[in-house]
Amino acid sequence: MTYLSFVKYECLALYRNKQNLFNALLFFVMVSLLFPLGVSSEEAFLAPAAGGIIWCATLLAVLMVVDGLFKNDFHDGGIEQLAVSGLSFAWLMLLKVMIHWLATIGPLLLITPLLGYMLFLPTDSLVVVLLSLLFGSPSLFLIGSIVAGLTLTLRQSALLMLVLILPFYLPVLVFATGAIKAQQAGLDPSAPLAILLAIFFLSLAISPLLTAISLRASLAS
Amino acid sequence: MAFDSLAEFWAMGNYGAYVWSAYGISFVTIAFITLLSVVKGRKVRAELRQRYLRD
Amino acid sequence: MSWLWIHKLGSPKFFYGFSKRFATPIFFSGLLFSLLALGWGLGFAPSDYQQGDSYRIMYIHVPAAMLAQSCYLAMGIAGLVFLVWQMKMAAIFIQAVAPIGAVMALLALVTGSIWGKPTWGTWWVWDARLTSVLLLWILYMGVIALQNSLEEKVLANKATAVLSLVGLINLPIIKYSVEWWNTLHQPASLSLIEKPTMPMEMWLPLVISILGMYLFVAGLTLWRMQTHVLLNEHKASWVKKEVLNNGI
Repeated sequence: MTYLSFVKYECLALYRNKQNLFNALLFFVMVSLLFPLGVSSEEAFLAPAAGGIIWCATLLAVLMVVDGLFKNDFHDGGIEQLAVSGLSFAWLMLLKVMIHWLATIGPLLLITPLLGYMLFLPTDSLVVVLLSLLFGSPSLFLIGSIVAGLTLTLRQSALLMLVLILPFYLPVLVFATGAIKAQQAGLDPSAPLAILLAIFFLSLAISPLLTAISLRASLAS
Repeated sequence: MAFDSLAEFWAMGNYGAYVWSAYGISFVTIAFITLLSVVKGRKVRAELRQRYLRD
Repeated sequence: MSWLWIHKLGSPKFFYGFSKRFATPIFFSGLLFSLLALGWGLGFAPSDYQQGDSYRIMYIHVPAAMLAQSCYLAMGIAGLVFLVWQMKMAAIFIQAVAPIGAVMALLALVTGSIWGKPTWGTWWVWDARLTSVLLLWILYMGVIALQNSLEEKVLANKATAVLSLVGLINLPIIKYSVEWWNTLHQPASLSLIEKPTMPMEMWLPLVISILGMYLFVAGLTLWRMQTHVLLNEHKASWVKKEVLNNGI
């Protein structure tokens, strides 16, 4: 097996389970729609809140995807084969996470302008929202993969995942919505966006190794 | 002593309810975790002793 | 004669003997110091010219908040030690200290909000300090929940080590983000503790209270670790001897 064949295999597996990705996207839209229906549909409320609503929905949708990231491979023994394949386990898992990120966030970014329009997101803010999603969401996946590795052996892991992961997602959420708010207040959003990138690089540095450690621990038990 | 009488000490300059509830909750909670640790320690030791005596 | 004895603490047997000698004196001296300092703070320290007597909550709030952070720091380092050197004692330490840290974080939250009521007029303000302690508490609860849900012991130890380490890396980021977010929302929130204006008669009992609580928690942690050592090493012959000879 080579890295390339692994990527091909992963893409094929993703395509076969496309319903999961579609569900995550649907979940994202549903959570976003809860706010106008549940809180208020007035533009005065929605326009400043839209960025935060989109980010909260993204967070929850990513959580759903990340929770199932390794589940299928774990149950059919695929992960075990990867661990002994001779290739770097950490790199393989990083590739897997990035493929899943692309497949989840790509459609999400495409649907965000439409959703933003429905939530009265000011058109000037759209670019910042998309940029914050682009810079912030990889960290969500990278951090999430560590925790997904830890909870792999549990049957009901979604709720525990939420508790474990929330403190780690919070800084990303704060800086992402902070960038959007700064833009809406007429300030320069580049500083919080740069911090989002910094968090991304930090998680890129630590996530593959720790994901590999936690997955190996789960496999050994 | 920062207070002239015991009554003043209890009143804490009208902040008595806040100060004493904060201290009360803290004492109860810390006593609880201490007690929990002690009870667990004793339970583990008693269980191990039983197991060793059985073998 | 060197500091090499510290390596031996990695051995459960040596650690047990060591901690058995020191846990009780540390615990009780901590208790003594804390009670002394709290009595001093409650009855003898002067009133604050701005906050009146409500500031006396500080003598319990500040040590609790500091301990909550220190325990997490120690836990994260123990996580690193466990992952790198596979030292069993590090995992036992994490298991023993997590509930204490969680209790300290919870106490810091509760006393902070009780203190906030007379100072800010409400029980809860999204103040940077309180918010980051809230997140710290959630981090602790995560470690405890993970430890309890994973039945396989080896996996549970490794998983909590990873989680504590990642949490430790994340802690400064959380603090920074919360502070940044706080300045964005409410520029001028009244800080509960004003450091520069505190006279000596006020901070001396505080320092003693902090010292006492640290000793108290250290003693309690050592005691809890002894229990975990016995449980983990129950197959070893020295445990059998220890349990049968020394009773409860």
